[in-house]
Amino acid sequence: MRRTRPDKVWTIALKEFSEFRRNRYIVYSLILMPLIMTTILPMVYLLPVASFASDPPDEPMDLGIETIEIVYGGTVQNGYYNRTLFIGVTLGNIVALSCRFVDCEMNYCLLRNSDISDSSLSECVVDRCNLDNVSRFNVSLKDSRVLGEPTEAESTLLLLLDAQMLFFTLIPTILPTIIASYTLVGEKLNRSLEPLLATPTSDLEILTGKVVSILLPSMLVTWICFVPFVIIVNLIAGPVLDYLPLPDLTWLVVVFLLGPLFCLVSILGNVIISSRVNDVRSAQQLGSLVVLPIVGFFAVALIGVISLTLPYLLAFALVMVCVDIILFYLATRIFGREEILVRWR
Amino acid sequence: MIKTRALGRRFGATVAVEDLSLNIKKGEVFGLLGPNGAGKTTTVRMLCGLISLSSGEAYIDGLDVKDPEQRLRIRGMIGLLPESPGLYESLSAYRNLDFYAKLYGCDPKCRKERIKELLQALELWDRRDQPVAGFSKGMKQKIAIARALVHEPKLLFLDEPTSGLDPSASVTVRNYLLDLKKEGRTIFLNTHNLDEAERLCDRIAVLNTRLLAMGRPNELAQDYFGRHLLVQVKEQETLDLSRFNDIPGLVKVTLGSEGLCFTLDDPQLRAPEVVRRLIREGAEVQQVYESRKSLEDVYLRIIGGEENASR
Repeated sequence: MRRTRPDKVWTIALKEFSEFRRNRYIVYSLILMPLIMTTILPMVYLLPVASFASDPPDEPMDLGIETIEIVYGGTVQNGYYNRTLFIGVTLGNIVALSCRFVDCEMNYCLLRNSDISDSSLSECVVDRCNLDNVSRFNVSLKDSRVLGEPTEAESTLLLLLDAQMLFFTLIPTILPTIIASYTLVGEKLNRSLEPLLATPTSDLEILTGKVVSILLPSMLVTWICFVPFVIIVNLIAGPVLDYLPLPDLTWLVVVFLLGPLFCLVSILGNVIISSRVNDVRSAQQLGSLVVLPIVGFFAVALIGVISLTLPYLLAFALVMVCVDIILFYLATRIFGREEILVRWR
Repeated sequence: MIKTRALGRRFGATVAVEDLSLNIKKGEVFGLLGPNGAGKTTTVRMLCGLISLSSGEAYIDGLDVKDPEQRLRIRGMIGLLPESPGLYESLSAYRNLDFYAKLYGCDPKCRKERIKELLQALELWDRRDQPVAGFSKGMKQKIAIARALVHEPKLLFLDEPTSGLDPSASVTVRNYLLDLKKEGRTIFLNTHNLDEAERLCDRIAVLNTRLLAMGRPNELAQDYFGRHLLVQVKEQETLDLSRFNDIPGLVKVTLGSEGLCFTLDDPQLRAPEVVRRLIREGAEVQQVYESRKSLEDVYLRIIGGEENASR
């Protein structure tokens, strides 16, 4: 079998680039959409949250507690306790004032003016206490200080940052929809495929040339936009979080691994769609459906069903590799001379 | 250069081309005529290795169009002008040709020279850097012809080269094709334009799914209409036509609106004898000429005959 010639692939890709440059719609889409998504939207989302953020407390309140009694281990049910140190105790239905709790488990308790550390609380009311490394379930906090946990603003910023990850998967998915609709359907409408197919160029070389011509600008724009995005996010969120959140490994996986995989899914999906439609608008409308599974994944992540952690993202990347392989196989079958000349409508 | 045997192509239940056998020599200009949907474009696509054959065999310069490797070589040695120019509208004329020259693997130095030569020959060199979108239909067609020739192919397939062009653009394109003919290129011409086929083609074939007729245009006229000598005489109605039945080579003699019509085996050879006999019968001969039927008459007779046969 004949080897695919890179010079021919590149010749086709260069021709496509020359055509894109002259298509204002593609040029504007390549510039404006990523610019809005990666510079303006982060500012719109993050700035208000960051500007209202208050400094997190780093010191416990001085509660003037002096314990006079110690309880080690065991279970304590019901009762009123004052100035007692509990270590490794399971407590239920108690009322405590000016106590210390270390490594305890508490259910249905009313705690006031106490220090609680390395413990867990469930169904409790806590008033004017210091909490340090305490897990809480259904706990009512009043005038208390939680140490070692992000503030509400920090949590919101981190959540919004995760949401912005979606943009970096949408850009390499949507841009091919726009470009492919012109390069494939446009060529079909212009009837320029037949003379191209009559050249001594293989189907795979033509398909690869077209894929490269869409993949390169889409990914270049995505990666270039990542630089100002990182700067903006760090400038806005850095002072609030006390560290520079980007770039981190999760983001690098999304931008440099998942991005190209999504881009390829979109391109190949559009090749298949383009074979069946006859106008650019229909191609774009149908092509944009490719975005749905990707948005779906991130929607599921944002509502907390799965987390946007490295193992999940790598697993998703693996799924995308499989999808790409299947779509590439289908696209090569559809993008054959005979298929194009006989069945493409 | 082109050899096919029982070539056929089906699209599902529809037969597009059936049992087509051709033998086209190097340097020959061959015209394929036929109504819309006759299978002309399908034939060209099969011969160019663009679509597969359902039956039969086809060879281009000895290369088998069924063999994928040889198909690639075939595409490298042919030039195709499809029905629609199919140019890249946003690119310039030069860039369009340069792109194809690169795909055909033309040497960079020769490429520039060749493109210049072609654009100059087609009077488009001055507009080489302008986007094709602003060109007239005729100019686009010229660029498409230049594209088919950019790699100096041995064999040229032209599908309706003057379709939709104004008369002056048609003349320019036709003259250019005549120049190509003089250069000795083999040209396979698909056309509806019978006048064009008559002027350009050494041989023609009439296709309507299957091959209906093939030959030189004048030979086909003879085959379908016979060879006639038309004679105009004064008071022709008074002549007794039965007295001419013994003229050697005579098939029949009739009286029509154009005069006396002698159907003969060789009108040029028999003309003196016919004139002698007419004078001997007392006729006053005014004009003698051999009747020539146009390709249009021949085409309509062939297609009409086929339609009648199919009814």
